[in-house]
Order: sequence, then C-alpha cells, then structure tokens
Amino acid sequence: MAEEPQSVLQLPTSIAAGGEGLTDVSPETTTPEPPSSAAVSPGTEEPAGDTKKKIDILLKAVGVTPIMKTKKWAVERTRTIQGLIDFIKKFLKLVASEQLFIYVNQSFAPSPDQEVGTLYECFGSDGKLVLHYCKSQAWG
Amino acid sequence: MEEDEFIGEKTFQRYCAEFIKHSQQIGDSWEWRPSKEAFELPLDDCEVIETAAASEVIKYEYHVLYSCSYQVPVLYFRASFLDGRPLTLKDIWEGVHECYKMRLLQGPWDTITQQEHPILGQPFFVLHPCKTNEFMTPVLKNSQKINKNVNYITSWLSIVGPVVGLNLPLSYAKATSQDERNVP
Repeated sequence: MAEEPQSVLQLPTSIAAGGEGLTDVSPETTTPEPPSSAAVSPGTEEPAGDTKKKIDILLKAVGVTPIMKTKKWAVERTRTIQGLIDFIKKFLKLVASEQLFIYVNQSFAPSPDQEVGTLYECFGSDGKLVLHYCKSQAWG
Repeated sequence: MEEDEFIGEKTFQRYCAEFIKHSQQIGDSWEWRPSKEAFELPLDDCEVIETAAASEVIKYEYHVLYSCSYQVPVLYFRASFLDGRPLTLKDIWEGVHECYKMRLLQGPWDTITQQEHPILGQPFFVLHPCKTNEFMTPVLKNSQKINKNVNYITSWLSIVGPVVGLNLPLSYAKATSQDERNVP
C-alpha cells in the first residue's frame, strides 16, 4: 500500500457551486451539524421558488450508519445519486474511503448517475421520495 | 453486530429465477445456464454493448455465479472491443465509475482481479466477494424488520454492477415488491 492516491480524483464540488444540488443547504456549512432546531428541515421551509424543479426526499439510515439530524431535504430533480451520496458523506463527515450506499424501496441501489427526479417519479409517494442510506466498507 | 446473511445455493437459484423472470418481461438479456455437472456453479449471462468515449465499441459480458466457499453470488465479467481484443485490467480500471475509484484505489488491489471462469475456463475479471456480506447484511436485516420481500440477487447486483459498468433498469426494483404487504 505504498501509493498515495494524490487526490487525482476530484469529488464534484457541486455543493458549493449552487447551480445544481441541494441548494437549501447553506454552503458555508463547515459545521454540518447545526446546534439547535435552527437546523432547518429545508423540506418544510419555503418551496424554493419553483416546486416543480425540486422534490422532497426523506433520508433514513440503515444499520450502524449515523443518523442525519436533518432528514428531509428539497433536492433538484437533476441531482444525481452520486451527488446526493457526496452530500451525505460530507454532512456526516465520512472520510472519502468510506462507501455510502443509497437505496430505493429499501433494497435497490440506483446507479450513481441516476437522477433523483426519475426516482421520485418511479418510487415517490405522499409527495416525497424515501431513500435509505447505509455506510459500508464494501471493498478492500 | 448482526449475524451475516448468507444464501444457500438453492436460495441463489430461486432468486436468479425471479430475476430472470423480470429480465424476460422487460427484454433484458439475462439467461440462466445450468452447468453440466451437478455440483458446478450455475451462471447467468448477459451481453451488454457499451460505447466508450473514444468511439470504440466495447462489448461487456457479465456472469453471476454462486460461490460455495463464500456462500454469496460473485460477479464475473469480461470486456472486449468488437475486433475481439480483450480489455486489460488497466482498461477496466479506467472504466470504473469515478465515485468508486477513490475507494478502490485506496484499498489493496484484490477488489478486481483476473481469474479463470470456473466453468468456461477462460480468463474473466472478478469482483471479489469477501465483503459482500458486509454491505448486504444491513439491507437485508432492515427489510426483514418490516417483512419486506427482497430479491438478494437484484439488490446485490444493483450495488456491485455499477462499479463495473452494469446498471440495472429501475424496473427490477419494483419487480420484487409486487408481493409485499407493506408500504415503505
């Protein structure tokens, strides 16, 4: 294990870009765990201007995965599963080497490029998409 | 922690049968091929044509086998250009989705290895199964809690497939939930 990965792989910084992504999360969240209930449940706050572009996602932890204090999020439809994974990992302060999986229907992992909007169309109910997430050391 | 969830060979066959059924419904090209000898590993086979960025057409072939020693399914695959040139391990690595690369690169290189296919006797790449239970167990336990039917093969393949270019259509996710009584 002599090689350093050299950070050649840039994880997408779309979280800071603001264009796509979970725009309800204040980008300056260096402390991802807000102290009080000022920790907005962005899903319940303003409809983010254009409700058609965002969908409500409810995140549920599986196994020994840390539970997010904020579970409900309004997410751009075009946000990919990979983008969501990156966001949750940052929020939970997971290291890059830890794998995080997201499931629909509690059993099926959509591919990383899948857009949440599509998943909402297929699996959403009661106006939201329930996604389960699970931390794992899947390989190595 | 929780006890690991293994699956026996008969259970493997049952899940594969359900998986194949849906595959046929949607015109996906998975097949079930029983092997000649009774104790050999059954396999499925699927040919997927993928186009690489460099305008080269690459053909991928995926097989799902059952590992008696690990008691889990294992994904074997190979890839070649249309002229028959096989892809090298290096090519395969380059094709791994960005989101998995960092994790795979940091670990020892026993995640994707090249091995002889136990039935065909030809070189294939294999996604090592030693950690399968680790990521499958939480999902299965969670589903059991709410009495939900989960097709192990579908779940497992949805997780490992994308690492090596195999993306299952979303309809597979719904196929196993037709019998369930609960709404998540």
